[in-house]
Amino acid sequence: MQEASTTKTQISAGRLRVGTSGYSYPEWNDAGFYPPGTPAKEMLALYAKHFSITELNYTWYQMPKAAALERMLPKVPSGFGFAAKLTRTMTHEIDPHGWRGQVAQFREGIAPLVQAGRLTALLAQLPAAFQRTEENRRYLALLLDALNGLPVAVEFRHRSWAEERVFAELQKRRVPLVAVDVPDLPYLFPSLDVVTNPDLFYLRFHGRNAKGWRSGDMQKQFDYLYTSAELQPWSQEKIPRMAAQARDGIIFFNNHVRGQAPRNAKMLAEQLGVQSP
Amino acid sequence: MDRSIIHINIADFAAAVERRLDRRLEGRPLIIAPQGAARATVFDMSEEAYRAGVRKGMPLGRAARLSRDMLVRPPQPARYEQAMADLLRQALPYSPLIEPGESDGHLFVDVTGTSRLFGPAVDVAWRMRRQARKDLGLDPIWTLAANKLVSKVASRLVKPIGEYIVAPGDEEAFLAPLPVWLIPGIESTDLLRLRELNLTRVHQITALGPGHLEVALGSQAAFVERAVRGQDNTAVRPVGQKPLQVTLEHTFGTDTHAPAELEAQLYALVEKAGHALRRQGRAARRVIVTADYSDGRRCIRQFRVEPPTANDLALFPLAQRALHLATARRTRVRHLRLTCDRLVYPPAQLPLFEEERRTVARQDCIIAAVDRVRERFGWGAVAVAR
Repeated sequence: MQEASTTKTQISAGRLRVGTSGYSYPEWNDAGFYPPGTPAKEMLALYAKHFSITELNYTWYQMPKAAALERMLPKVPSGFGFAAKLTRTMTHEIDPHGWRGQVAQFREGIAPLVQAGRLTALLAQLPAAFQRTEENRRYLALLLDALNGLPVAVEFRHRSWAEERVFAELQKRRVPLVAVDVPDLPYLFPSLDVVTNPDLFYLRFHGRNAKGWRSGDMQKQFDYLYTSAELQPWSQEKIPRMAAQARDGIIFFNNHVRGQAPRNAKMLAEQLGVQSP
Repeated sequence: MDRSIIHINIADFAAAVERRLDRRLEGRPLIIAPQGAARATVFDMSEEAYRAGVRKGMPLGRAARLSRDMLVRPPQPARYEQAMADLLRQALPYSPLIEPGESDGHLFVDVTGTSRLFGPAVDVAWRMRRQARKDLGLDPIWTLAANKLVSKVASRLVKPIGEYIVAPGDEEAFLAPLPVWLIPGIESTDLLRLRELNLTRVHQITALGPGHLEVALGSQAAFVERAVRGQDNTAVRPVGQKPLQVTLEHTFGTDTHAPAELEAQLYALVEKAGHALRRQGRAARRVIVTADYSDGRRCIRQFRVEPPTANDLALFPLAQRALHLATARRTRVRHLRLTCDRLVYPPAQLPLFEEERRTVARQDCIIAAVDRVRERFGWGAVAVAR
């Protein structure tokens, strides 16, 4: 890994984009991020006034539908970018016989974002149960081949993938390894600042609620508010180091509970000197 | 506030429950029908049997010949009720507003305003499906939308398996390219009328505007207009609340046992019940006739309505049979009550056979005409000669 000097001034802020994982949360009305009573259909346009990128979470639950994405595009300004999560049927609930068909469907669904040049990244988030076994390695290689041409990035949840050989293979394929900030739990993929693609680095903040993480309850798992001091090592050391190795960088906060993600995203953007849209 | 309505739907429910109990039934065409009964008809079937041409209500003899592999199992209502109870129990932690279907694998769950407790509605829906798979061995369709009508359409769209999320505000755009018959609650006469006008897709109807639609459909236009735009304010009923039903009663001035008088009164009740059902955009799956005798005794008889209907002419023969059974005693009757319950959205599927289709279309046309006359000139302006 390349060592880089670590001052905020060395980051070209225009290359960095900070946002949140998902934007449509009714509880963000109560949290004050959206004006009270904001209906879901108006949230994306309001969100785009604060951030220049978002991560689409719902595509994990269901295949993206081209028509729905087409309707989404006019709601955001021209420079707004999207990262989309790969559907669970290719990461968490893999059908050994049907996943290739799922890839084809996904390509079809995501096409409007690709065509409009708005798909900044495609997030393949693999669960903690997806350990580094021969079978899983083979599947991942085939999946990356099948997704060839899409800006796919890989997030591991299991520690067994934290291997130089894995990083080298991703580097060879020019696939970004998703860096994470997570609770310090023995089985979780650690918080590293490895960059495997010179075009893009991808960073996700999940919060550090170790107790909540083990509960299996999403509302507890992602219930965490970073302090300014906790974000500073990232903004002052790790992110500048990553930015020095990649042309662009995208950073998302997944601690969505009680509107903590947009608060932290703004906090980090300010520390990094990233301007609001 | 946007509502979040989850629709859980286990396709081919009876067949799915039987397969859960007997894995040998997997992957083969399966019919659920009472064996050995004369003129038995198909109660439910698996997707494989459906693809082979089997339909609900088809004579079993004919259905069984459609595939050499066909398996037939008798209906086990107690099993289906148990499976529904299990499904309901799994949904209970998420909301007090749960509206189950009648042992048919359908469940509406209103999770509006629960995201701080349970997370995003989409995650709740996915967890419910995962739990049903893990604990019950059933793999439901799940959909999420801002109201019952749209979540129901989404289920129909992905059937027999899958999921669909319709974002709030996207209802109209979601429905626009779909065929009109997928929209629940639109009567077959209105569908036929729209087809005559070459209007088969939702966007063609929304483009018409309310004025033109009223010319085409009369008093039903307002309902159809709302439905095709995905507007539905009906609430998901709280768990345990009495299911929706239409009940009408008549007390005779002089107690009677004259069949003609009883039937005439029953027909008047059926007409009013049918009208009420049509106004609600629902169809009944059961008619119940209650007769209270002069001596204080009561007799209740009921019949299943298959396919569900809101048409007086289809409801009356069943109500009439129930009446004959309920008034078999040689004692005068003081009070009659007609109940239409197990209300559902009218089925999307048209009858399979041409003759049956024609009969249903003719009956619907007559009733629609009667409705139009009555709405314009009053209830007494027209009566059916009997």
